[in-house]
Amino acid sequence: MRGLSLVHDVLDAQLVDRNEEKIGRVDGLLLEVRDGEPLRVATILIGGAVRAERIGPWMTWLRRTVRRMARQPDERVSRIPFSAVRRVADTVQLDVDGERLESGHLERWLAARIIGRVPGGSEERT
Amino acid sequence: MKKWSEVALGVVTSIGGFLEVGSIATAAQGGAEFGFQLAWVLLLGIASLAFLMEMTGRLAAVSGRTYVDLLRERFGVRFFLIPLVAVFTVSLLVLSAEIGGVSIALQMATGMAFRWWALPVTFIAWLLLWRGTFGVVEQGTAILGLVAISFAIAALKLHPQWTSLGAAFIPSLPSHDRARYWYLAVSILGASITPYLYLFYSSGAIEDKWTIEYLGVNRVTALLGNMFGGVLVISALVIAALVFAPRHIHVDRYEQLALLLTSPLGRAGFVLFLGTLCITCFGTTLEIALALAYLLAQGFGWSWSENLKPDKDARFSAAYSVLLLVAATPVLLGMDALALTNISMVLTAASLPVTVVPLLVLMNDGDTLRRHVNGWISNVALIVIAVLSVVLLFAALPFQIAGGG
Amino acid sequence: MSEPANTIVMSALVGRTVRDHRGRALGRIVELVAEVQLHRSGNDYVVTRIVIGRYGSLDLSGIGQLVPCAGDRWRHWAGYRRYEIPWDQFDLRDPEHPRVQRGVGDV
Repeated sequence: MRGLSLVHDVLDAQLVDRNEEKIGRVDGLLLEVRDGEPLRVATILIGGAVRAERIGPWMTWLRRTVRRMARQPDERVSRIPFSAVRRVADTVQLDVDGERLESGHLERWLAARIIGRVPGGSEERT
Repeated sequence: MKKWSEVALGVVTSIGGFLEVGSIATAAQGGAEFGFQLAWVLLLGIASLAFLMEMTGRLAAVSGRTYVDLLRERFGVRFFLIPLVAVFTVSLLVLSAEIGGVSIALQMATGMAFRWWALPVTFIAWLLLWRGTFGVVEQGTAILGLVAISFAIAALKLHPQWTSLGAAFIPSLPSHDRARYWYLAVSILGASITPYLYLFYSSGAIEDKWTIEYLGVNRVTALLGNMFGGVLVISALVIAALVFAPRHIHVDRYEQLALLLTSPLGRAGFVLFLGTLCITCFGTTLEIALALAYLLAQGFGWSWSENLKPDKDARFSAAYSVLLLVAATPVLLGMDALALTNISMVLTAASLPVTVVPLLVLMNDGDTLRRHVNGWISNVALIVIAVLSVVLLFAALPFQIAGGG
Repeated sequence: MSEPANTIVMSALVGRTVRDHRGRALGRIVELVAEVQLHRSGNDYVVTRIVIGRYGSLDLSGIGQLVPCAGDRWRHWAGYRRYEIPWDQFDLRDPEHPRVQRGVGDV
């Protein structure tokens, strides 16, 4: 079958950035509705809020409650234009720098503030 | 040539891996209360695990992706939530039981209460994961786990009646205490067929960079490893049948398990028992902690690998660190280790369908496995295991109530 | 979640029951197939076909994969059907109630 199967091959696929680093999964896709034209695959969505919506309203509520208790801002959803897709295979490669993504915030914060501070957590600097 | 040294490693890992606190405790209770009779259940568990491991290993070797990775991608986040929560919860409980196992071994060795060993044990496990690589973890636990062979030696020393044992491999119905018999059957299966094991194996295949050329290695490892590991667990059952059953000893405390080796082997047996308990439970602690971190990381698309420095896969490293601490808590609070073990085995049995049934789909997916999809033997085996898992799901709670404790 | 006005999240479409112009249910949306559309300012992927499955929820949970594997005879016996419908026969003005222009028999 020619063409890209969005549900089978793109949705929930592992995403990697231009350096082949894992940056999360395709949690959602945004489609642009146009009059008299086919739907355009516009944006890749990465983030817990997107996943929660797919699971169900109860999950969205749960997530919001937990985040409010932890006093976190409501969303860190990354929106990446679909034009950034370089390759769709075992993983979906995006022409982005993983370090800059909103959704990578927790990873960077943990690496810098906690993991990196524990002895043995990072490459020793000579 | 290198590949076959990997077979040796895999086999050796499975030897120790099969034997851990759950399998020792459930086999011992089974042997103590029903003699050889439950041997067929052990055989069923061993065979099932061998098939499941071969499949998740083949999945990883051919597709280059782990089982959890494919589970999330093929089934979507909504369905994935079910195995995620089930495996996570149950494996965390088993992790507690394993930490408890090491702590109790140390209590028996030193006299200091097991509660105080929980944190030191957890710390050393964490340190090994933090600083070690996958190879180190794999090889270290494998070599040390060979001490478990003492179970086979002890069983041989007791001169079991081979014909009676052989006969016990054919399924039979109990003549007394039916509820208890089936409860023990369920917990033995839950101790043998553990999801964290075949999930871990799948991730391990990727850590070790297996490719299609490793399919033979995979098959041999899964078969031989579980065979040898199985022999050791069956040895535990045999010993319990010959040592506990005649004296009508009911196993309800961990300390009694030491009799499994002290009776046949004397003082040396005590040391060997402590060594075996300590090492196999510790090895399993590392495995489960990693398996839980793999589950979260692969399910959510984080970077992951035991071969990376922790700050390169921060969420993955944070996951196993936090989960080790969480799992240590029941032990720290002094919870009854044997009760914890028994409950976690039954819950494991009940949780099986959510990881076995999706395998039916994945192992037949030509897109992922190309010409290495399941043949009819594997499919028949998988369907049998799937049916078994569903039976266990419905049987676990009733039998826990009727026959547990 | 605030998204631009003329966009829909794909998960809002997947799984929806599709009806024909007479209101009869055809099945559920299980797949969207996209192809590259070339134009002046770059390439875009656009959805050219929408696949509807008779047993929609089975498809979505992945068990639908087993069906192709089980062979044509099983498929026929179970009345399993998948329809691939070109985008221009779809009426998506109301994303919660997608409709197809033609009738059931014509698909």
